[in-house]
Amino acid sequence: MLTTKFQIILIVGIILLLLFILNMIRKRKLELKYSLVWLIVLVFLLVIACMPEKLQEIATALGIYSPVNMIFFLGFVFSLVIIFVLTVTVSRLSARIRRLAQIVAMMNRYMGEEESDGESEPVKADDRYNIEAD
Amino acid sequence: MKKLVIIPAYNEKQSIIFTVEDIKKNAPDFDYVIVNDCSTDNTMDICRYNGYNVLNLPINLGIGGAVQTGYLYAYNHGYDIAVQFDGDGQHKAEYLETMAECLVGKQLDMVIGSRFIANKGFQSTWLRRIGIRYFTLLIKLLSGKTITDPTSGMRMCNRKTIEMFANEYPRDYPEPESTMRLIRHKRKIEEVPVEMRERQGGVSVMSPLRSIYYMVKVTLAIIIERVR
Repeated sequence: MLTTKFQIILIVGIILLLLFILNMIRKRKLELKYSLVWLIVLVFLLVIACMPEKLQEIATALGIYSPVNMIFFLGFVFSLVIIFVLTVTVSRLSARIRRLAQIVAMMNRYMGEEESDGESEPVKADDRYNIEAD
Repeated sequence: MKKLVIIPAYNEKQSIIFTVEDIKKNAPDFDYVIVNDCSTDNTMDICRYNGYNVLNLPINLGIGGAVQTGYLYAYNHGYDIAVQFDGDGQHKAEYLETMAECLVGKQLDMVIGSRFIANKGFQSTWLRRIGIRYFTLLIKLLSGKTITDPTSGMRMCNRKTIEMFANEYPRDYPEPESTMRLIRHKRKIEEVPVEMRERQGGVSVMSPLRSIYYMVKVTLAIIIERVR
């Protein structure tokens, strides 16, 4: 069901992707924590690409009629899992950013207290953003 | 006893001076802090020019994040009482002292300034009143407690509640949700009749689409808070 030619293309493609991701981790552009799930999936795909006949066995074991259906189903589920993990991450990040912004606001306040002992004239209201006003 | 007024402000150039002067004149016992939520107008310049005590958020956090900044400030500076007070001039500073007396006298955890006890002053539009009634009903159903004005932004907290809010506060449309949270934690809440004005300037953030989001989000938040 898989021509040898396509099988080779697949294997080479997956290996290239693996190297690409590993290289990004090496350069610290990707954090290992978040790329782990991609690595696992790629390794899984590599195994499948090397032994496509296993696919039929897994599909039968899961009670799925055709391997193609299983691939689509698993792909879909996997995508959802990754998106969900990202949502969780975004929630956590936004909570952290919020707290950081609040602390920055307060630190600026304390620093302003030390600086604003006289000299510089305060900016006159309505002088700076005249264009935006009204 | 140290008392703080937290004034969240987003594009309130027309009303911020009015609000702060109202507090200085009618609630002289209270300190105040303005939280400028990254306004795009010259609210910040006006505050600086007038020498107001202002915290300037570097990014827009929304009303919840802004108010929480105020609670954090109150907590860090050892305030015993903190009260939220809108920067658009809707609230009247003359009621702050009454609220503080109620909070201290009855040893409450939060006092809400309610428009719907005496039914005096600006009563909001009928559509909004329906929304507010709905939340009153929802909270009553889920907790058995009647809060006549669950969306009121005029709320005074004691030290214990300040700490709780500084740690955890809803992001947007926080009032009904955090009220429910307090009830669930068996904190003592009471309402005090107040009068409010119409906003003195600026625009409301509410649009039809936002109202729907508001209703759905807050309903879910209250229900989730109930089962938390």
